[in-house]
Amino acid sequence: MEPILTVDDLQKTYGGRGSRTKALRGLSLRVFPGEFVGIMGPSGSGKTTLLNCVSTIDSPTAGSIRVDGTELTAMKGRALSKFRRERLGFIFQDCNLLDTLTGLENIALALTIGGAEARSVESRAREAARLLGVEDVLDRFPYQMSGGQQQRVAAARAIVNRPALILADEPTGALDSKSTRMLLEQLEGLNREEGATILLVTHDAFTASWCRRILFLRDGELYRELRREDKGRKEFFREILSVVSELGGDGSDVL
Amino acid sequence: MSFKLALRNVRRSLRDYAVYFLTLAFGVCLFYTFNSLESQSVMAVLAQSQNGMVEGILMLVNVFSAFVTVVLAGLILYANQFLMKRRKRELGTYFLLGMSVPKVSRLMATESLLIGLCALVSGTALGMVCSWALDKLTVAMFLTTPAEIFTFTLSLPALGKTALYFGVIFLLVTLFTGVSVSRARLIDLIREGRVNEEVAQRPLALSVSLFLLGCVLLGAAYALLLMRGLLRIDPLWFGMLGLGTLGSFLIFRSLSGFILRFTKGHAGYYRGLNMFVLRQWSGKVRTNCLSNTVICILILLSIGVTACAVGLNDTITAQVEGYAPYDLTVLNYGRGGEYELADIPALFRAIGVEPEACFSSVESVTVYYNEEEITGMPGPYFYAAVTLDDYNRLLRNRGLPPLEGLSKPIPAPESIVNGSAADGVAVIPDEMASLLRPRRQMVNINYRGDPGQVDGLVRQALENARDFSGGLDIMMNYRLDNYYDAMGSKILVLYMGLYLGVVFLVTAAAVLALQQLSQAADNALRYELLSKLGAPEAMRRKALVRQVALAFLLPLALGVIHAVVGMRAANEVIAVTGKVDSVRSSLLTAGFLLVIYGGYFLATCLGSWRAVREKS
Repeated sequence: MEPILTVDDLQKTYGGRGSRTKALRGLSLRVFPGEFVGIMGPSGSGKTTLLNCVSTIDSPTAGSIRVDGTELTAMKGRALSKFRRERLGFIFQDCNLLDTLTGLENIALALTIGGAEARSVESRAREAARLLGVEDVLDRFPYQMSGGQQQRVAAARAIVNRPALILADEPTGALDSKSTRMLLEQLEGLNREEGATILLVTHDAFTASWCRRILFLRDGELYRELRREDKGRKEFFREILSVVSELGGDGSDVL
Repeated sequence: MSFKLALRNVRRSLRDYAVYFLTLAFGVCLFYTFNSLESQSVMAVLAQSQNGMVEGILMLVNVFSAFVTVVLAGLILYANQFLMKRRKRELGTYFLLGMSVPKVSRLMATESLLIGLCALVSGTALGMVCSWALDKLTVAMFLTTPAEIFTFTLSLPALGKTALYFGVIFLLVTLFTGVSVSRARLIDLIREGRVNEEVAQRPLALSVSLFLLGCVLLGAAYALLLMRGLLRIDPLWFGMLGLGTLGSFLIFRSLSGFILRFTKGHAGYYRGLNMFVLRQWSGKVRTNCLSNTVICILILLSIGVTACAVGLNDTITAQVEGYAPYDLTVLNYGRGGEYELADIPALFRAIGVEPEACFSSVESVTVYYNEEEITGMPGPYFYAAVTLDDYNRLLRNRGLPPLEGLSKPIPAPESIVNGSAADGVAVIPDEMASLLRPRRQMVNINYRGDPGQVDGLVRQALENARDFSGGLDIMMNYRLDNYYDAMGSKILVLYMGLYLGVVFLVTAAAVLALQQLSQAADNALRYELLSKLGAPEAMRRKALVRQVALAFLLPLALGVIHAVVGMRAANEVIAVTGKVDSVRSSLLTAGFLLVIYGGYFLATCLGSWRAVREKS
């Protein structure tokens, strides 16, 4: 099977003369269709840099990123915008819904920006909302929703135009445990039933335990890979914790 | 230290302050320009002819300036509030770092004082240039022979007044700033920007009914205005103003909900960023509907005043010719109120003015007492009558077509003499004259050679001789006096109109610009998100321009409608002298609106876009 995301020897260097910081030092990874991949690592391990490069928000210093066979590093301006809105879906940690739009409109926005056929917009947005179980908050404004509902609406927006890859950056970072569980259940369902490919970046071992495969980064390099296989979530969670403590010594800054 | 920090802050946020500063400087410039009218050369020329106009103009400038000061003070306070809001975060940081309240107060006060001072100085400098340009323009417009040497004059009184008025305003602003800083709570400062206006979901029926109610109220106000006219000031008049204001307010309040509800679900709503723009607009409705109402009224005043001024100015120009068809009219009131025919050329010769050398034509005409029972013309309106024969003789000599076949008296279509003596004259059939008593002799004279020179000669001779000999009661009406009178009225009407018009318009546009720019920080976050969602730059820019355009166009549209109705009513007031909504005045007003309002619109678009782009 062809991978959906191929990252080869990715390097990113920040800063100019004098003080250079290597955020990524030749990272390579593959994500296949229908996978639910987690990326973990302590602060400064290069998680966010990787995500920014894949999501075309930032450009790498060297290396190649291919999504669905398209080389991202060669694209510019208009083509990049087009690629971003058609092939990628984003879920951010916060500040992710427009406060002036209702839930339905926030979901629909991803479609209208892409110039989707106006008549189909509303039904497609409702369908996405159904998949994430937020049909009942569609007429509310973000400030009238709970944090979990907001995040699930954002997730619905991320999947509404059927992207090749869904990128989630600390999606549970601002949620309480109940909302976290709910969002992750929905994402897992999305992955299992709709075959959505998800790349999730997180600090949190509990959140990561929902993934099928986890890549641990340290100092801009791949440190370890963990697969859930047929293990139960609790067992997987313990495995993750042990890698985390290994990674950060006492693990204090990863949890 | 606090001064240094203030100076650095001002320099750093120069771009934030740009609109505020420009508006301040522009206000100062206008204020100075119009208050320096008295030192303008044209005023000196007017004053030479002992024209009462000069004092009138200067007095009106004073009265209007007081009014303008109040408007500008309001604007400046409002603008300052916006700036403060924008910098709450920064203020919070100062407090967090442990700066004491008085110190921060002093810092902010110093900043606003600095801006004020800069605006005052540059505004006055600009005002001097403007006042000089206005002087040149006036001279070119009104004086056929600019004999005087016009130099760049500095008006000390205007300078003093500008410094005083604006100094007081800036001091007030500074005080206000200091007080509001000291009363601010840290938690509010830190949390600023996270609190959004709650977008209330109002049912469609409510929006629609509010909108309809607004329309009905406005309609009622319009009907009252058109039926009762502009100037019947009684309790009902204030009722009309209230109705109009409330109607505008309701329309602004409900329009977005109204449009939103009707477009929602339609295909266009889900196209591109339409939905986003519409929501951006409706999200601010509750905050902005009051200011929109005020802006709409300011635009109405601005358009109305400007159009009326230009229209009246045209009317006055047209009237000078009709009002003073001769170089000089000599009115002979007779002796002791009794009619007595005199040989006017002989009287001139007696004081040393040679009629053959100085006058190209001398025409004497006698007017009769108007007896209502005989002529049928109402006594209160017609004081005199002239025979058809005399009337036609005057007209023929002026190259105008004479009146044909007069069976009964009519009001004289053309002036038979200079000045107001021509008002209230009826033309009667020749045979009717034998039934009436003669009232007055009127002698129309045209000069030979240079009119200015001859005019001076006649006045000088008359002054030297004290008066005509013979003891007759004789009045003179010179065309040049009429001309200066008209010139005075023109300057008065035009300048006052432009003064007020510009101030109102600038105020309205500046408030809109400030509102939009102060939202820039919130907008930046939203547009950043749009960018992340893959909206290309062109699409985002278009959405931003539309958002600003909506904010600018709506008050303008309603203001223009108000103005059109208002000018119809004004027409009826000024119908005696002419129309105010002529094509010319409308075009001029539109051009003037386009330049100022359009300029602010463009600047706002650019400023907002820059703020949004810096972020993403």
